[in-house]
Amino acid sequence: MIDMVFLLLIFFIVNATLIIVEMDKRVTVPIAKHSDRQDGKMGRIVINVYGDKHAGEGRFRMADGKKAFADDEDMIDFIKKQKELWEDKGQKPRLHLRADEGVHFTYVRRAIRAAATAGVNEVIFVSLWTHS
Amino acid sequence: MARHRRVQAPEEDKPLLSISPLIDICFLLLIYFLVTTTIKQKERDNNMMLPSAAPTDTQPDIQPLFIKVNEQGHIYANVGAAQELLDRDVVGKERMLPMLDQRLDTYAASARLGNDQPLVQIYVEGKAMHQRVVDVLNLLAKYEINTVTFTDLLTEDQLND
Repeated sequence: MIDMVFLLLIFFIVNATLIIVEMDKRVTVPIAKHSDRQDGKMGRIVINVYGDKHAGEGRFRMADGKKAFADDEDMIDFIKKQKELWEDKGQKPRLHLRADEGVHFTYVRRAIRAAATAGVNEVIFVSLWTHS
Repeated sequence: MARHRRVQAPEEDKPLLSISPLIDICFLLLIYFLVTTTIKQKERDNNMMLPSAAPTDTQPDIQPLFIKVNEQGHIYANVGAAQELLDRDVVGKERMLPMLDQRLDTYAASARLGNDQPLVQIYVEGKAMHQRVVDVLNLLAKYEINTVTFTDLLTEDQLND
């Protein structure tokens, strides 16, 4: 029995550390079968883009889903600061874009444009293998 | 005369390792992980380089493939008079776009035959759903095309330059 407990414990510890980037469940990311496994959290600048249902508290928010950006300038400033932080650590900054599957692309475009203005030209469109 | 009996010293207690607290801690940790773990799918990446963010003066050798996504989610290829409707909707659980798939297959193969990097320009109408754009990007990933230009990302000032 103790052996089983140890095995379960190891399973949960390993599983808990596999989550690479914080995921706000209010964003349902789209499906893409040819997407790649996440390679690590280094260099990722996370922006959540919410669908109409959750956009009331802010359409664009940070990784934790709590801090919303006041406007596009605020988002650009945030990306610029994150970019400098990652570059100081010798990492290539990338926009980790968690956009809801049902959001209009015009909002996604705003986030991409903010990243482009801040000098980040690599974008990771976050997706799932399947919703089931 | 009373015989002095040598009192035998009690046998020294050998130190024993008690594993009970260890097991208790293991159980506590197990319960913690059981409670906090939710079975969640791991999110995946679709990496794209967006050259519009870093414009260059050099013209590419190859003609880029132009893809349009309208607000109904229909997929078109080419512009102007040459514009043609490829797919109206996705097919199956794989969310495939068969006509676009075929077009990209041909385009990517011909580009690589000429030692060129396939280039794709995408124009997306503002009210198109993000999922449909990712359906297109998914197919690009299938053919290892990771350089994409969203043509409408340029601002008015940049267009006038």
